[in-house]
Amino acid sequence: MNNLNSLQYFLPELFLSASILIIIIVDLLLKKDKKIITAYLSVLAVLVAFFLAYRQYNYAFTSLFEGMIVLDSFAVYFKVLTALSTIIVIFISMPAFRRHSEYYILLLVVTLGMFLMVEVNDLLMIIIAMEMVGIISYVLAGFNKFNMKSNEASLKYVLYGAASTGVMAFGFSYIYGLTGHTNLFAIQQAIVGHSLQPLPVFIAFVMVVAGLGYKIAMVPFHFWVPDVYEGAPTPITAFLSVGPKAAGIALFIRFLITVVAHPASQTTFIQNVQIQAPLLLAVLAVVTMTLGNVSALGQKNIKRMLGYSAIAHVGYMMMALVVFNTRGFTAIMFYMVVYMFMNFGAFWVVQSMTPHLGSEDISAYKGLGYRHPLTAVAMAVFMLSLTGIPPFAGFIGKVYLFAAIIKQNWYTLAVIGVINGVISLYYYAYVIKVMFLDRDEEIKAISVPLYDRVLLWLLLIPVLALGVYWGPLIDLAHNSIGFFFGN
Amino acid sequence: MEATQVLFWFIAVVTILSAGIVAFSSKLIHSAFALLATLVGFAAFYVYLGADFLAVAQIMIYVGGILILIIFGVMMTHRIYDTSKRTAHNSLILSLLGGAAMAAILGMIIFRSPWTATVFKTLKPTTSMIGTSILTNYLLPFEVISVLLLGALVGAVYLARREEDEE
Amino acid sequence: MIQLESYLIISAIVFVLGIFTILYKKNAVGILMGVELILNSVNLNFIAFARYIDTYINGQLVAIFIIILAASEAAVALAIILNMYRDRRSVDVTKMDEMKN
Repeated sequence: MNNLNSLQYFLPELFLSASILIIIIVDLLLKKDKKIITAYLSVLAVLVAFFLAYRQYNYAFTSLFEGMIVLDSFAVYFKVLTALSTIIVIFISMPAFRRHSEYYILLLVVTLGMFLMVEVNDLLMIIIAMEMVGIISYVLAGFNKFNMKSNEASLKYVLYGAASTGVMAFGFSYIYGLTGHTNLFAIQQAIVGHSLQPLPVFIAFVMVVAGLGYKIAMVPFHFWVPDVYEGAPTPITAFLSVGPKAAGIALFIRFLITVVAHPASQTTFIQNVQIQAPLLLAVLAVVTMTLGNVSALGQKNIKRMLGYSAIAHVGYMMMALVVFNTRGFTAIMFYMVVYMFMNFGAFWVVQSMTPHLGSEDISAYKGLGYRHPLTAVAMAVFMLSLTGIPPFAGFIGKVYLFAAIIKQNWYTLAVIGVINGVISLYYYAYVIKVMFLDRDEEIKAISVPLYDRVLLWLLLIPVLALGVYWGPLIDLAHNSIGFFFGN
Repeated sequence: MEATQVLFWFIAVVTILSAGIVAFSSKLIHSAFALLATLVGFAAFYVYLGADFLAVAQIMIYVGGILILIIFGVMMTHRIYDTSKRTAHNSLILSLLGGAAMAAILGMIIFRSPWTATVFKTLKPTTSMIGTSILTNYLLPFEVISVLLLGALVGAVYLARREEDEE
Repeated sequence: MIQLESYLIISAIVFVLGIFTILYKKNAVGILMGVELILNSVNLNFIAFARYIDTYINGQLVAIFIIILAASEAAVALAIILNMYRDRRSVDVTKMDEMKN
């Protein structure tokens, strides 16, 4: 579709771009103590973008802007998800970031980047969209500029992030050289049509996995995660572990089913060239979850622990990538939503409790179950859900992930996954133990503002609800993937 | 061998040697100036490849912009007169191993698969083609990257500016 | 006539040197130079393929955008480096011991 006609299908992104400009101008007019207004405007902007994106659901598959991006239900699903994650993050940030409107402007730019990431259809757009999310994330990670940890986090993040993007782009250059195209569909046709040699395709694939793996925190490109997650401001840590990661996984799936594989039947994909991609992904998934879980065991800082746990969860999700069928992708899409709520919940508890407890160490949570029972119970639910214990949403998500791989006879992978779940129980349960079983002699009750409690409930309810009634969401995820087969 | 080929290989050797200095030099300011030679060498390759616009852009943006930024960085973080100061390094052996592994992989890609030219183009100016493409097929990346630059600008200004009234 | 492979070999060598620089240097500005080497080798690949493989000049257009991205990345990285240096007087990425493992 040509550029002019594409605009009508590009409303959410256009609206976000316009909002960014308007908020920058509004910021200039506001006095120093009124900057929080930009936060309200940002919530409003993302909310409108959320509904505009939602309205695009069930649009027929369209290729926009001369094939640069595509609009399909898969993209819309992830657009809605990432918009929701930005809204939650703005709410999490509001109490702490009251004076800097730049923060909210940058969050909106990242949201626009994530929207583009999930609908890319061209190698160039992949690079641009990922850099859009990446460059702004580097700034956000170092947003507390007087905090040494935050600076360090952002410096490490930017240097190795830039390097990983470079490696990915180098992989893209070989893909371009092999096929002569930058459009993903054209590449798919060229690879299938010319039956290329496997080796260069495989190496290019590995290089691209390095770049994408860095963004979604996959082992062995995870080394930045613990430092960045500990050093960055807590809301940004929460955001990086959900929003950009969801967009990264969406991009990964899109890359896998165009450049690496193509639809074979109504539900499965076969590889364009036999390059052992599933095996490589399976090995990476195993390494990722095992290393994430084992490293999380000894952590004393709760943000660092959640950082390693985020690595492990990427491993669980990658596990379902190996099957290359709709069941696997549906499971990942479902798990991403569940993960968003439980992870944001855990980080929100950390964010709202840190001023009261005075520390981010797990030991500071001692006796929280008696000091503020609601928060402690909520935290316990989030921890159990992250472990994957029924009846919470995390359990359902894991069931779908494991079902997808067992159906395709990846038994070893499933067993390793279950063992990892058991390992993770140890460090998640440790937090619960500290909160409820250890107690001080005198109990100093904590008073939590209404805002904090309301937001806590808003994050807690989906975790509880999706644990008992998940049908509609899984149907939605399943529908969204359907277009790849033209239905 | 033709004169153009001799010149090409001369530029190639200079570029690779200066890239080597960037990598191995223990004085940061030497690396920065070696990077200048590498970047100019790349611009020469672009001329050989018939990419006239990119050769100019390479000189203007990389040499005139990015390299100046980097030299600023070197000068502000290491006092300029202190060129004798050596920077610390990670283990040479491990880094060389990493580089060698990468080289082996790339060598396999390049030598074990056929890379033959499939189209033969006559050299002609590309600037108007690039201009037309940017306003037609590449309109979306062009617009999107302007938002990205705006965001990077806001972020970089925020990080670099001094705040009088805080801490 | 210079062959396509010549360009590929040159860009591969520069790419490997870039990777080596990133692994070897501890100074943040030094690592940034390694990143620039990598991005230049990417561009050389794209432009060489645009000349010899592609019927149009898509590779050159991709290279333009990569140059822009490299510039914005360098700007943000240097803002962070300077901000860090102001407080810390060191940009050695391994000397940062604020966070313990």
